[in-house]
Amino acid sequence: MGIIEYARTSIKENWSLFRRSRMGLLGLAILAFFAFLALLAPIPRLIDDMYHPMVGVDPEISYSTPPSLRHPMGTDFMGRDLLSQFLSGAQIAFAVGITAAVISVLIGTAIGLTSGYYGGKVDALLMRLADIVLVLPGLPFIIVIAAALGKMSIWIIVLLIALLGWPGVARVIRAQTLSLRERPFVEAARVAGAGDRRILLHHLAPNVLPLTFLYAALGVSGAILTEASLSFIGLGDPSVVSWGMMLQWAFTTGHTFRAPYWILPPGLAISLLSLSFYLVGRALEEIINPRLREP
Amino acid sequence: MYRYLLHRILQIAITMFLLIAMVFILFRVMPGDPASMVLDPKMPPEAKALMKKQLGLDEPIYSQFIIYMKNLLHGDLGRSFYYGRPVYDVIMERLPNTILLFTSATIISWGLGYALGKRIAWRRGTRFEHALTFMGLLFYSVFLPWFGLIMIWIFSYRLGLFPLGGMITPELWTAGGAGIIALVLDVLHHLALPLFVLTLLSFAGAMLLMRSSMLETLREDYILTARAKGLSEKVVRDKHAARNALLPMVTALALSLSFSMSGGVLTETVFSWPGLGKEIVSATLNYDYPLAQAAFIFLAAIVLMANLVADIIYAYLDPRIRY
Repeated sequence: MGIIEYARTSIKENWSLFRRSRMGLLGLAILAFFAFLALLAPIPRLIDDMYHPMVGVDPEISYSTPPSLRHPMGTDFMGRDLLSQFLSGAQIAFAVGITAAVISVLIGTAIGLTSGYYGGKVDALLMRLADIVLVLPGLPFIIVIAAALGKMSIWIIVLLIALLGWPGVARVIRAQTLSLRERPFVEAARVAGAGDRRILLHHLAPNVLPLTFLYAALGVSGAILTEASLSFIGLGDPSVVSWGMMLQWAFTTGHTFRAPYWILPPGLAISLLSLSFYLVGRALEEIINPRLREP
Repeated sequence: MYRYLLHRILQIAITMFLLIAMVFILFRVMPGDPASMVLDPKMPPEAKALMKKQLGLDEPIYSQFIIYMKNLLHGDLGRSFYYGRPVYDVIMERLPNTILLFTSATIISWGLGYALGKRIAWRRGTRFEHALTFMGLLFYSVFLPWFGLIMIWIFSYRLGLFPLGGMITPELWTAGGAGIIALVLDVLHHLALPLFVLTLLSFAGAMLLMRSSMLETLREDYILTARAKGLSEKVVRDKHAARNALLPMVTALALSLSFSMSGGVLTETVFSWPGLGKEIVSATLNYDYPLAQAAFIFLAAIVLMANLVADIIYAYLDPRIRY
């Protein structure tokens, strides 16, 4: 069975379960809303150059103005359009969140499978490594790397978030693999002449896939919050208009208590989008682990 | 139990050593002259050469590391470029402030999370449970620095109930004449809002963890037995279920400590709380490498120490622990 077919039947089977979770549906709705906004992001700059989120400045405005017809969400301290910045922020949040989560889940799954399947010294070594990364305070660690590097690019931030996020996934996948490798179908595969590689990739990996999806969903929230935090404290990528960066600009130009139209939307969006991924993640968790469902 | 703790202490010491080594390597493999990372760029070249020799920067990297470790153990962390003072002094001033904020937030949020988590799990499926679970998720995913700003806006700026930031009112402390009680109250007044924000964040996580741990425990046969014996609901909930649900919760919470510390850094920054978290951010923004390194090492040390405390609590709670 091909992976696409597998995905299709699995979505069809589980959608009826997912639909029962009201929180999961709410999360999916919020997520869809922001995904729609992210798709709109390239439009403003096509309408007029002044709507470019980074370099577009309204020639008639040189300070922050409240919402108007021309600028539905107002402008920032130098007359840039806040709506187009907000839309660009949605795009960045999805890009950062999903990329970081996918990378860290891939690393975590690979390490978890290897660790659980081979056991012994490999397992001990990999799990000690996981323990160390697990107690590492994430944000201070990224900050100290920023100090050593001097300046951060958005892809370095994504990579660092991913490199800090894998141990949780690895532990769970390892535990799952430990139990899976004792099942008869693994034995059957081995008797049929399958090597380690084949067993890992074709027999074990598909069975941990649901867990992988769950952790990816949960990981997106964390990644979005971390990137926003870094931008907010002034250590983000200055060439990228993210929601955290919008807040940082408001903060450093002294608009914190003066411009609610500027301060409220980005913070609310960061919180809601990260909430939505959590809600979806929890609904997936209830599908995977029936013990969590309400009796 | 002692062997278990000894094992954990050893593990924590190794982790700490590896972290320090990592920071050391990080700051020396960076592009450019490694000396520029430890030496103040404003220094005259002769002084730089002298300092280089003193710091052992002309020696091979492994002996540099030995010198670095030796200095660290002697409390010599270099000089802060920004403050022009020994890094050690700056760190020691900030450390208690961070510990005050971090430990009080952790203790309150664990306590509250335990008490509420067991109640909402017990009343599963009710409106009370749905509302609190949703609230927990809301606080867990809220963007903390932004939430902090909103709190300052409402409670400090608009209502004037709390100070805008900082830890003390300088006039009160320099003028003299204020009693010790007045000074303590002043700190508590400054502490209230950042503590509230940080507590809310870690409380939500603790409550959700306790909820799921309690739900697992409630499926156990001994709960059914306890009920069948005719024990009161409260006894079953508190003595039979919650006590056993506490164990996995402590393990999970210990792992969330590093997450809370990230929250602590943001809280300190937003509320200008003079702790290590605020210092690591401003040191990085000021290119003050020695201070940024040291602040990180000490923040990590706090998390590791808190982990050790969690281990001790765990060993105390679970007498089955033998290593």
